[in-house]
Amino acid sequence: MSSVGGATLAHLPFGDIVIYITPFTLTLFLLALVFTILVIASRPERQLDITFGADRIITKETGLTEMRFRRFMAIACGLASMGAMLTGDVFDFALFTSLVGITNVGIVAAVKSRHVQNAAFQYGLVAMAGTVPLFGAAAMVAATTGTLSMLELAKEATSVVPFAVKAFLVLGVMGEGMAPFYAAKAEMFRAPGAPYVIMCSLSSLLIFLRVIEVVLTV
Amino acid sequence: MIISRISRFISNFDNLLALFAGACVVIAVLLILSLPLPYAENQLYPKSLNAGSPLNPYDRGGPPFTQADIVVQYPENSPYAGYVTAYLTPLSGFMAAHTLYLGTTIVAHPGGILDEILYNTRGLDTVVESTILFIAFGIAAFLFRKGS
Repeated sequence: MSSVGGATLAHLPFGDIVIYITPFTLTLFLLALVFTILVIASRPERQLDITFGADRIITKETGLTEMRFRRFMAIACGLASMGAMLTGDVFDFALFTSLVGITNVGIVAAVKSRHVQNAAFQYGLVAMAGTVPLFGAAAMVAATTGTLSMLELAKEATSVVPFAVKAFLVLGVMGEGMAPFYAAKAEMFRAPGAPYVIMCSLSSLLIFLRVIEVVLTV
Repeated sequence: MIISRISRFISNFDNLLALFAGACVVIAVLLILSLPLPYAENQLYPKSLNAGSPLNPYDRGGPPFTQADIVVQYPENSPYAGYVTAYLTPLSGFMAAHTLYLGTTIVAHPGGILDEILYNTRGLDTVVESTILFIAFGIAAFLFRKGS
């Protein structure tokens, strides 16, 4: 198969869902894996609030339950990104992408701050709305081509998936991968969200890179 | 400058939902303009509804414990596809014998119909689906408990 990701190195069959490994997907997979290991090994950052005009510094502690929950969500997000990087099936890709979206909601929503919770609510709405074009595109791929396997779709000489369906798929991934906008605007990167919030940015970047490969391949 | 105005607009996360909705409208218009989309007659998972079967729409045919003919993408990966179509527990068998709607209660009782395509050839999908549900319940439980 001629793919933008390079020659296929290996296949990993799960029934009709065949995972295929190319240099491109392997690189993204390793990136997700390394960051997941970093998240497992790291500890939450402590935010210092300095009051001007007074000699006062407040350290904000992250509670154990909150830290555990956010670490769990970050690890789940890493696993979901790894799955989305390797999968060779359009519907499976949509599922892993929406899993990335919902774990990102979890990472953002765990921070105990009104501002951040508002951002998480707004992002949750976008991620929920994004599932409609995402799964709609997967359904339309099945209807217009008769199959969902990227390997089968890549065998065609010219792309059989209509352009508008590909645009719909990209739109869905955009909705799921909007987390960094909210995380950055809610000032989470140096706030108690660090370092787990880095998984938001990384997973969004990875699913954007992968959806471009998917759209060019099918 | 136009760029600084755009930047100021998207720097407020209350506007991002409107921005995404606008993108949805644009792509939906593009999709409507590209109608009608072609329909591939040679579908991988064909659906034939037999109105008299209580297992609708999960009835893949075949007597119990013999291999039914199931269309799959890679038959070599699912050598046992077609063997579990008609397995029903006693409760499910009772419901199938007395109503026509067992197929609609697939999640409502244990040990019902095992859908060949869903659980045999696309097993990874069901794992990821239930993981999404689990994560969603986890977030809801955490947010609910955090209030107290």
